[in-house]
Amino acid sequence: MTMTEILPVDLSDVREIPGEIIDSVRQSVEVTFESISGSRPGFVESGGQDAPMNGIIGHITVFNSQHTLTLMVAIPRETALSLSEVFCGMEIPFESDDMGDLVGEVSNILAGEVAANAEQVGFAGQSSLPTVTRGSDLKLFLPNKPPTAQMRFEGSGGGFWVNLALCESRRRK
Amino acid sequence: MSKIKALVVDDSKIMRSAVKRTLDQLMLADFEYTEAIDGEDALEKFSDEIQIIFLDWNMPRMTGVEFSKAVRQKGNTEHIPIIMITAEKSMGKVDTALNEGGANAYVTKPFTADQVSSVLSRYIDKDGNFITGADDQSGKKSFFKDMLNFK
Repeated sequence: MTMTEILPVDLSDVREIPGEIIDSVRQSVEVTFESISGSRPGFVESGGQDAPMNGIIGHITVFNSQHTLTLMVAIPRETALSLSEVFCGMEIPFESDDMGDLVGEVSNILAGEVAANAEQVGFAGQSSLPTVTRGSDLKLFLPNKPPTAQMRFEGSGGGFWVNLALCESRRRK
Repeated sequence: MSKIKALVVDDSKIMRSAVKRTLDQLMLADFEYTEAIDGEDALEKFSDEIQIIFLDWNMPRMTGVEFSKAVRQKGNTEHIPIIMITAEKSMGKVDTALNEGGANAYVTKPFTADQVSSVLSRYIDKDGNFITGADDQSGKKSFFKDMLNFK
């Protein structure tokens, strides 16, 4: 299957991210977090994030000349602390630069997996550098209303969300 | 047993620490580390003394593949193994790193100690000494074989 079969270049009439891409990302999240923590996180049906979060969000994109898939990995404080223990062998302070570094790296690893899996469904792209936001009462808004999706996972170290937004890489005239 | 001079290049401090910790825990050899935060920094810190390079791909200013190409273009650097340690997993990226970038081996993040040990065994003997003139094609063949089996 090629990308043009599941996704047109022009996204103005696309209301949802195609299921093939969502499934590909879901599989990537499960594989990535399993390889980091040793246990596969469970996907939580209808697990949207309604309440603001005290935690940290890694942002990264997988893009090509036509489309940009943005991944936002939203990790509550307690999950982030657990993640640091399995990744670094010790708990690192939530407020430290190292925590931002860790979540950026986890986002980077996830994007690498997403890029490899999405390639199988025709979305050949490369990943950007990650950026990280940390704070309390965090809530993601997507004002331009691109096609989005939200997935919740529950792992051995706690829950987390992965939010997706799909847009055209360049605004057409 | 003399120390092996290793250049560890990654924009993530956490990952540089993870690479060093893994190498130390494997106890295959004694390493002396030089760290760099991106390709440009690595080029500045690169010297004739460096014996092996552990290299991330996706970094600001200069990517790992750009750095690898620059090192190979210096000439007389073919004997220095460049081990890509990166989150980039697609076959096209692997091919680019190994064939265009001049890297010798490819390890994907998050890596295990066994994966690193398997790669290093081609360059370090059982006494912890660096093997000069190691078969630098074996890493490429091995990675592609693993990828094909995986797929």
